[in-house]
Amino acid sequence: MSAQKTERLINLTLALLATKKYLTKSEIFNTVAGYTGSPETMERMFERDKDELRELGIEIEVGGLDPLFEDDQGYLIRSETFQLDSNQFENEELLYLTMAVNLWHDSALQANSKAALLKIQSLSGPIESNSVNLPVIRDAENSKTLTTAFESVEKRFALNFQYKGSERNVQPYGLYIQDGFWYLVANEADAIKSFKLQRIDGRLKKVGKESSFTKPAEFDLATFLTISRSAKKEIAVLRVRKNQGHALRSKYAVTEIDDEWDQMSLEYGFDQEIIQTILWYGSNVLVERPEKLRSDIKLRLKELING
Amino acid sequence: MVDTAAVRALRSMDLIPYVLQNPGVSIAQLSARFSVTQAQIESDLQLVFMCGLPGYTPYELIDVAFEDGVVSVIDPQVLDKPRKFSSNEIVVIALGLKMLIDINQTNSTALTKLKQLSEKIAKLGSNKSILMAGDVSRVPFFEIISKAISEQRVLNLQYHSLIKDQITERLVLPEKLYFLNGSLYLSALDIDIDSDRVFKVDLIKECRIGERVAPKKVLESSFETTVILDVQKQNRNFIERNSSVITAMQENGDLTRVHLQVSNLEWIKLTVLSNAPGITVVSPELLANAVKQSARDLLALY
Repeated sequence: MSAQKTERLINLTLALLATKKYLTKSEIFNTVAGYTGSPETMERMFERDKDELRELGIEIEVGGLDPLFEDDQGYLIRSETFQLDSNQFENEELLYLTMAVNLWHDSALQANSKAALLKIQSLSGPIESNSVNLPVIRDAENSKTLTTAFESVEKRFALNFQYKGSERNVQPYGLYIQDGFWYLVANEADAIKSFKLQRIDGRLKKVGKESSFTKPAEFDLATFLTISRSAKKEIAVLRVRKNQGHALRSKYAVTEIDDEWDQMSLEYGFDQEIIQTILWYGSNVLVERPEKLRSDIKLRLKELING
Repeated sequence: MVDTAAVRALRSMDLIPYVLQNPGVSIAQLSARFSVTQAQIESDLQLVFMCGLPGYTPYELIDVAFEDGVVSVIDPQVLDKPRKFSSNEIVVIALGLKMLIDINQTNSTALTKLKQLSEKIAKLGSNKSILMAGDVSRVPFFEIISKAISEQRVLNLQYHSLIKDQITERLVLPEKLYFLNGSLYLSALDIDIDSDRVFKVDLIKECRIGERVAPKKVLESSFETTVILDVQKQNRNFIERNSSVITAMQENGDLTRVHLQVSNLEWIKLTVLSNAPGITVVSPELLANAVKQSARDLLALY
């Protein structure tokens, strides 16, 4: 039964793909193998087949001579919406595409990477890729969570999950990857926030139906990221021991204080980040200003010693 | 999970252009590529063999031949090209190309090609809802390293070690490159100490390619110590970034106790200090004392 249905779906797709003109239902029922039974049965079969193919992203176009008469309507699949064009990419481009998707083949996106690679190889044949050694992305993302997030952003499913100890109900607007970690940008009670996917406790659950909310037309992920990243900047003045702190020295200019120390100033956005950087250098890098950073560092050290 | 008829129909159709471009591919290879069993591939192929265009004479059917477990397509009908990339596949390609562009900054020929290709991909349906924030840091020696790996040649590195905070000369046999937490790393055999080491590529200051060496299997000779740490919730970043060396983990309220296998205690010491007071050393005691001593030394300077 299921094999018959699969066969019919393939035959339908092939027929709609091969035709230059719209095929009417009666033409389909008369010519495409697999449609049998009463007109009503065939009608039901066809509606279901069409929906299932559309569900998987196949664009079945409806058209006809007279749009007012449903009987005159026909169906077709345009090759350009279904297939890649064999001349779309040059050989060198196919090699770069292979490199681009191969980056992900060990990551949480490996299923998408694999599927894309199959298509590339269906255009190119086996690619000589041993001339280049490609890095791969290693991550610790949960691919199930990531896949659900991708799908929810695309199909606009609302989401429910546990995050930092509380239950969240959000409308997902977008996703971004930064420094190897994925973040979900979503509307939670009229505030747009970023959620780090790895911090989601347990399962990321879709709630309700597809297209369950409208994303405001003015929302643009790239703009959101630019604004949230260009948050307030402050200046820290540091004291760096001579011949030490090379990583900092390679990024920021210094002026000499005395035989033992140089001075350096740098911009920072988040206290936590700059404190971590400074403490990494131990006794070789000290904060001069602002006072808030100095006292914060002293407090942290005391806690560490007494802890 | 059993595939629906529609999923199976698409997979069966996807097999045709793949086999067409890869004639003589084996059932076993197809099974690996398409992530289904060999029996499933065989039955999918038998199924498409029955399908074709209206008329359904032998001239209108898809013609597949399999012999001795090897498959070729004789007549693909309209299935001579693969299906279009799905939106998620485009995301994977587009983000991948962006990373390739970032790491090829110094290779202007590759860069031009890659940028043109990205624009082409963007036209296939760019997804404005899934993006990469920020850039991968510049990797000036990507080509040289990549060449050295393929040709099994050694590299002379000037490497800026963050742990020692100094530039050291290393002679290494590069093995592979990988991205972790957004940075590119090189794993290589450090020839002088005959042990595998990991180098952060953007800390390589100078890089020269050397002679070819015969590949050899090396015994992992580094001594690893088990370190136990208590990590506060707000320092969870540490756990996320170091998941590859964490061997056990127990959550206990706001604290997470982690066990790590490390070969470099100095690295752990600096990490604990820089996360002060969010991470405490449970064992070994030697490390706990060393951390406290560093904190005292530093505090004395304020």
